[in-house]
Amino acid sequence: MAKKFNIALSSRLSPFQKFYLLVIAGFILGPFIPLVIQSFAFRWAWPDLLPGTWWLEQREKAMAPLAWDYVLSPYSRVWEATVNTVFIGTIVTAICLAICLPAARVLAREKFRGKSAFEFFLSLPLIVPEAAIGIALLMMFIRLGLAGSYVGIILAHLIPTIPYMVRMLTAVYQGLGRDFEEQAMILGANRWQVLRLVTLPMLLPGVVAGALFTFLVSTNIFLLTFFLGQGQIVTLPTLLFSKIAGGTLDASAAGITLIVTLPGIILLIISERFIKEEAFGKGFGN
Amino acid sequence: MKITAIYTSLLALVAAGAVNADTAQFREAFLAGEVDWAAVEARAKDEGSVNLYYWGGSDLLNVWMDRVVAPALEGQGVELNPVRITSTKDAVDLVLAEQNAGASEGSVDMIWLNGENFATLKRQDALFGSFAPLLPNAANLEWNPEDERSVLNLRDFGVETGGAEVPWSGEQYVCAYNSDRVAAENVPSTFEALRSYLEENPGKFTYIKPPHYIGNTFVQEAIYALNPDGTGAEPFQQSSDQIPAAELARLITPGMEYLRDLEPLLLDAAGGSPRYPEDNAALDGLFLNGEVDFSCTFGLYSVATGLATGSYPEAAQQFVFPEGHMIKNKNYLAIPVNAPHPAASLVLANWMTSVEAQASKLQQTGMPSGIDIWKLDEAGAKAIAEASPGLVGVDQATLDANAAPDTNATLVDVIEATWLEYIERDSSDPIETIVTRAYENLTK
Repeated sequence: MAKKFNIALSSRLSPFQKFYLLVIAGFILGPFIPLVIQSFAFRWAWPDLLPGTWWLEQREKAMAPLAWDYVLSPYSRVWEATVNTVFIGTIVTAICLAICLPAARVLAREKFRGKSAFEFFLSLPLIVPEAAIGIALLMMFIRLGLAGSYVGIILAHLIPTIPYMVRMLTAVYQGLGRDFEEQAMILGANRWQVLRLVTLPMLLPGVVAGALFTFLVSTNIFLLTFFLGQGQIVTLPTLLFSKIAGGTLDASAAGITLIVTLPGIILLIISERFIKEEAFGKGFGN
Repeated sequence: MKITAIYTSLLALVAAGAVNADTAQFREAFLAGEVDWAAVEARAKDEGSVNLYYWGGSDLLNVWMDRVVAPALEGQGVELNPVRITSTKDAVDLVLAEQNAGASEGSVDMIWLNGENFATLKRQDALFGSFAPLLPNAANLEWNPEDERSVLNLRDFGVETGGAEVPWSGEQYVCAYNSDRVAAENVPSTFEALRSYLEENPGKFTYIKPPHYIGNTFVQEAIYALNPDGTGAEPFQQSSDQIPAAELARLITPGMEYLRDLEPLLLDAAGGSPRYPEDNAALDGLFLNGEVDFSCTFGLYSVATGLATGSYPEAAQQFVFPEGHMIKNKNYLAIPVNAPHPAASLVLANWMTSVEAQASKLQQTGMPSGIDIWKLDEAGAKAIAEASPGLVGVDQATLDANAAPDTNATLVDVIEATWLEYIERDSSDPIETIVTRAYENLTK
């Protein structure tokens, strides 16, 4: 079946389209190749195409763990940072959804005075520089005793994520007419049933996309995390920044960089399956 | 859930208030010499942990912190919380933000720093006070101002330390060359020789861009070496209050002009504008790749450790440059005034200045000893000597003979501003105007 599909696809693609796909794949995968090689290198100098000395050759002689030995050792704090990043990202996404779903419904369906001004106002946090927000929030959070806590970081992460989420969900709601919900009601569904069986399944692809986006934004915030975590709550971006601030990647920095991309990739794969199966499989039924 | 959070934070604030008075009391009593060391250690156990903020870009240092320092403090009942930061200034900003927010108890117990960062904390009155001479291991350091070797313990970039920071590591600005690419007889030892070399081999050198302190140091060395009076580093030990702008401008003009003339010979200058790397990791990359033939940085043992970690080319050798003006300084551990665990910080500071700590740091990270060898007993001096990863191509006596002191921190600001204006922005104003302007900004 899959093979048939491939043949069908390839026969439909013109040579130019195939070339175009290859170029895009190259752009996406290309940067990973030197990163993977670097993560196994000990000494990799220009103009050598491959490292002159590999990490494994030096492994026994080294005074401290090198390359992947360092990345996977507790010294690198990668595990702690990954757990923190995923934990903060998940909570931020959940809170963000809870705030934005009702807000988007109102913004998409109701008309009220000052609506467009309000929409503009919602995007403001994206315009103010992160450093300014960070310092100002830190001052406030210190007084509230929230600085250096997970609560503080999560609250701060809501600032740049809510504007994105609201915009995305508003667009999704706009695409979803009231007709389906009214149909269901006419057929005798109560409000809860409408929400559970009609509205949510139809919104789901948009919600998953928004949640994915929020999660990715949250897992990439460096400055706010550093300030409000007072440097003590390590996440993948803060860990990576302290490693690569130099501008050159050594083997352990390359390894950490690869690890940093993992949560996003895993999430993309999961959500890809989820959108297909849940929304179009169960939601509409056969 | 939010309400609970607010309640807990209010409770925390109240509790913090109670502890604050107590930490302030402890600070005063300790600085007055009324607390004996056993009491400090007992209190450190009660405090239970210590937050050390340090630049986290070195794997070797990170491993050493977790592998050696943490267990050593554990033995004294204190948990080490090593906080790795991207730039030391971030930690300084954090301390100041917390201080300005009125929290007399912050989150930073100790910072690894020197120069401008220390001067900033000192100016803002954000330091714990003169703790260093009161540590039991202060005996490992020279504090007698009459002994000229004490200067690096008493002054940090010309700013009086006042015992508010304790030396942790000593460094010297040393250059390395790649002996696969440069013959030994062509290695320059003066700025004139460097220029001749670059005329033969254009583009094979660059230095780290100011305001990075390593770049600033290179500029200072050029200024010392080309000082029109021939007095080297001497006039630059004064602060900006003591030396008038016009006089400073006169002294730095030959150095600045040399650096401007050098620009067309630097890396990538043939393609339009020269390329200055942002920090030493970037410079190490250029040196490893053979894009430049020389690499100058703070690091007595940088070649030995660079070879051990693969970040230096295999044929790297150190050499003397510039003769008689190789800046030497120390870096330090400071305790902020709002440190939440002051006694634990003192215990950490004391451990860090022990022979045991210094020898293992030297051996495992290649960071030179910050304590003074001549103050140690024979066994201690031997332990440090044996831990050294070794110099490559030069010896200690030659380096000592060519050592020069750092520039006063207030002048560093002026020189840095002048470099940025005169060389980076290519200002057509005369140097004196630029220096005067920098002086005015300084007082603002």
